[in-house]
Amino acid sequence: MTLADLKTGESGKIVKIQLSGALKRRLMDMGVVAGTDVIVEKVAPLGDPIEVRIKSYALSLRLGEARQIEVEEIKKS
Amino acid sequence: MNKQNTPFVNQEHNTVKNNLTIAVAGNPNSGKSTLINAIAGSRLQVGNWPGVTVEKKSASFDFQGRKITLVDLPGTYSMSPYTQEEVIARDYLVREKPDVIINVVDATNLERNLYFSLQLLELGIPLVMALNMHDEAAGKGFRIDEEKMASILGCAVIPTVATKGEGIGRLMETAVAFADASEAHRPVVISYGDDIEKAALTIEKSLKDHPDILAGHLPLRWMALKMIEGDARAIENYKTAQYAAVAENATHHLRSAHGEDLEALMADTRYGLAAGLTREALQKPETRKRELTEQIDAVVLNRYAGIPIFLLAMWLMFKLTFDIAGPFTAWLDGVIGGPLSRWAEIFLTAISAPEWITSLVMEGIIAGVGAVLVFLPPIFAMMFFITLLEASGYMARAAFVMDRMMHAIGLHGKSFIPLLLGFGCNVPAVYATRTLENQRDKALTALLIPLMSCGARLPVYVIFTGVFFAAYAGTVLWSLYILGIVLAVLMGLLFKKTLFRGEAPVFIMELPPYRMPTAKNLMIHTWEKGKHYLIKAGTWILAISVFVWFGLNMPWGVESKKDSYLGKTGQIIAPVFAPLGFGTWEAASSLLTGVVAKEIVVSTMSEVYVPEAGEEQQEEAPSFGENVKEIGVSFAGAFVEAGKNVFSTFGIATMSAEEEEGTTGLKTAIAKVFTPLSAYAFMAFVLLYLPCFIVLVAMRDEFGTWKWAGVTIIYQCVLAWVVAFVIYQGGSLIGL
Repeated sequence: MTLADLKTGESGKIVKIQLSGALKRRLMDMGVVAGTDVIVEKVAPLGDPIEVRIKSYALSLRLGEARQIEVEEIKKS
Repeated sequence: MNKQNTPFVNQEHNTVKNNLTIAVAGNPNSGKSTLINAIAGSRLQVGNWPGVTVEKKSASFDFQGRKITLVDLPGTYSMSPYTQEEVIARDYLVREKPDVIINVVDATNLERNLYFSLQLLELGIPLVMALNMHDEAAGKGFRIDEEKMASILGCAVIPTVATKGEGIGRLMETAVAFADASEAHRPVVISYGDDIEKAALTIEKSLKDHPDILAGHLPLRWMALKMIEGDARAIENYKTAQYAAVAENATHHLRSAHGEDLEALMADTRYGLAAGLTREALQKPETRKRELTEQIDAVVLNRYAGIPIFLLAMWLMFKLTFDIAGPFTAWLDGVIGGPLSRWAEIFLTAISAPEWITSLVMEGIIAGVGAVLVFLPPIFAMMFFITLLEASGYMARAAFVMDRMMHAIGLHGKSFIPLLLGFGCNVPAVYATRTLENQRDKALTALLIPLMSCGARLPVYVIFTGVFFAAYAGTVLWSLYILGIVLAVLMGLLFKKTLFRGEAPVFIMELPPYRMPTAKNLMIHTWEKGKHYLIKAGTWILAISVFVWFGLNMPWGVESKKDSYLGKTGQIIAPVFAPLGFGTWEAASSLLTGVVAKEIVVSTMSEVYVPEAGEEQQEEAPSFGENVKEIGVSFAGAFVEAGKNVFSTFGIATMSAEEEEGTTGLKTAIAKVFTPLSAYAFMAFVLLYLPCFIVLVAMRDEFGTWKWAGVTIIYQCVLAWVVAFVIYQGGSLIGL
């Protein structure tokens, strides 16, 4: 599943970024690296982009990019 | 800067350098700007980085008897640049080799900030870390062990609270001490594992004869690591492509083992280290409190309330910008047109200056100064509110809320604000594009701004709708605003497919915590922008005003405006407008002068259609004392007016929105030469053709090149002609 599939309040662990080049580089620089936990905080009022919490800060990105970020859902215990 | 060929390895260990360059680097939203203001205050100089339009802030001052040059680098997330700002920051650090780096780190967001710090340490330049917003971190219950951080990183760590000036003195002392003892600087060396290290050594060996590395302009290990990462921009920028084969060889087995993903591996290593360091040095409370920012966002970014709140915020900003600026603009206008002009006239008469000199000074130079100054209040106001939005953290939310809509026409969420300001005045709107980080977004937004019908076009509409569409003036006015917006959407789509084809910038943006902006920060930014405009744009505007005066008044002594250069040009180009329904030299000349400011279309029309109305009645000349009194009283009046406007909820007092006086003669004249259809075509043309030249100068000022101003001139002229043609010919066809 991808980051775009997570609903508000759900969290996951990043597995892989399915992008390449500068875009991937930037995402990694912003902390989107494999093994990192991410939680979807909000969806913008018009449905896109989304806000996620990662490395204890808030990052926003479009669904287009979120679809390229593979995650593994973390079920709430 | 002024540093030339400073050897890579500092050889001056026995001497104390008298001139020190300190670079300030850090993530966006780390409070870097506030920290710089706290150190340098009013000594801060704002310019541009050479060849680009990114703002460069620097300051020179004496500290402990040494001359310090402080250079503020644009906010940066990584040494693998993504934005133009980041390219500048990296190039500066790599090429200019400052004596010390002050790395501003947000103590509340340690891990991601440290990721960048680790990359800075790899440059081998002495580094002092300002652990900023220490109070905020303490408020969250964070306990940070600075000594542990310092010993692990091999740099100094000084806690600071830039907003209160805490720790600034110690920071500067440490930075200077570090510059003197650069030999003692032993930063942590990040180990990327045996495989990568081995490859790095091989590449380093071959890179040694690279001229820039020989001359000490390029750190050796850093470049080798960049080549392993496959940082294409670094390889291109630093001309190390010929070593690519060596790098390829050295990393061949690595690539087969790790896939093509060496850069991911290295980013992982750095983040691993940053995470480890954070764990070691930072103690967080067990349970995370729901922070104020999240509480605010629950409302501000709410699914239903988000957009209404955004629109309300925008409406307030628009209203305050132009309502506060309006009275001051009127005051400046009054002072320049009244007392200042009268004094100049008295002086010129006293020295019996020739008539053309008087005309040049009065109508060319003084009018030009006026044209420069009247935009100062809205630019100040715009910059104040833009800074407020950015410093408070709301700008990022505005972009978050609007991005979906703006993205549809190829723009960024942040484009909305400059476009909105365009309805008040296109000039501050162009300057407001600086809030966009990406050059493509900035340029595209700036190109669309002139389609937003500004306040200065209103007098033209008012006259024409008054004559031809009195019964449904409101609808006609609205239709023009809507026409501009619709065309902006269409042009946005067109530009996206043509001029800006290719990779569209993405939206990967931090939503920083809400913070209270400091008054000092707001003042410095607002003042600097205004000063910059006065000096940079002012010169151009003045020169063009004088040029326009020549067009209007030369050859000297012409009886009718028809025989002036302007009138002659008007006669030549008039046939171009014939298919649009207004192919007269009068209309053409008016449109030409409209380039100075769109409302001037009306006054030129008055002059050319009803020349006798142009004769001004002689007023009783007020005394010097009365003049001074007038300036003072009207200034006080402007203050009161601005204050009232803030509190009044009705009516957006855009600049020069009121109908000009004494237009009865003009109305009669245009009723004869225009039809309702050609009048509407003319209004559409006024809306769409070139913005006033101040906007063009602002574009040049903001982008450092005439390129985008040139594109604007061409596309808008074509667009205006085509639209007016369609309106007039289409209308004629259906029998309007």
